[in-house]
Amino acid sequence: MPKQSPNLDRVFYALADPTRRAVLARLSAGPAAVTQLAEPFDMALPSFSQHLKVLENCGLIRSRKEGRVRTVELAPKPLQAAENWMVEQRGMWERRLDQLDAFVLQMKKEQKR
Amino acid sequence: MIRSHDHQPDPKLDLVFERYVDVPRELVWQAWTQPDLLKQWFCPKPWQTIDCEIDLRPGGIFRTKMRGPEGEEFNNIGCYLEAIENEKLVWTNALLPGFRPAGDVASEGCGVGPFAAVITLKTTGKGTQYKVIAMHADEANRKHHYEMGFEEGWGKAFEQLVELMKNR
Repeated sequence: MPKQSPNLDRVFYALADPTRRAVLARLSAGPAAVTQLAEPFDMALPSFSQHLKVLENCGLIRSRKEGRVRTVELAPKPLQAAENWMVEQRGMWERRLDQLDAFVLQMKKEQKR
Repeated sequence: MIRSHDHQPDPKLDLVFERYVDVPRELVWQAWTQPDLLKQWFCPKPWQTIDCEIDLRPGGIFRTKMRGPEGEEFNNIGCYLEAIENEKLVWTNALLPGFRPAGDVASEGCGVGPFAAVITLKTTGKGTQYKVIAMHADEANRKHHYEMGFEEGWGKAFEQLVELMKNR
């Protein structure tokens, strides 16, 4: 039963905001320039950049600058880490309950003898 | 009689398992509440439960010692919150026996962090319909949940994102 990754806290934090989730959803369609990404949101560019910084710090997105244009793209790995935690938990319980079911069925069989 | 809590799982934090098994619920209850029985199934293989202590009453100890395939061992200590024979069992690792808050100790166990498990058993036909709710207080989840002040859309949004990622 592996320990959860320390990065997970930051990923959950990053996901806990509608703007940042919208950015991720948009980026899932492909890379975009920061100005292009900011367009649908009713906020100043510095505030929007803060959101991008949070996403970038936990590794959910990557950015690169070409000339005067900063392009952002999705980096799916950390999101998978967050997902994996719940999946791992589910898997652990599923296996445990499979064993319980097999065990009580065996108990029943032995009682009949 | 004091009414039992009606548990409403939170899809963002909780896991729910509903199963049917073709044995009387008394047997399922025994498997959950007798140490020598519980030891035989409680840990997903290749992990083993090498020791187990059960004091079946609210505040009573529920301790399991697990051993991993590499010989690593974890002691999980918690207590029962509710025990209605053949019907319902609730325990947590967030409280030590006697209801003393476990603090950080809870997360030492096998790395799952603090949680509470609610098991309900119902007789259905010749067998047992049972439900397990594993409620998590994943700090990352819950703390930010409150701090950020958002109430809805988390679970769905997350699921959708995961879906999106998978389909890339």
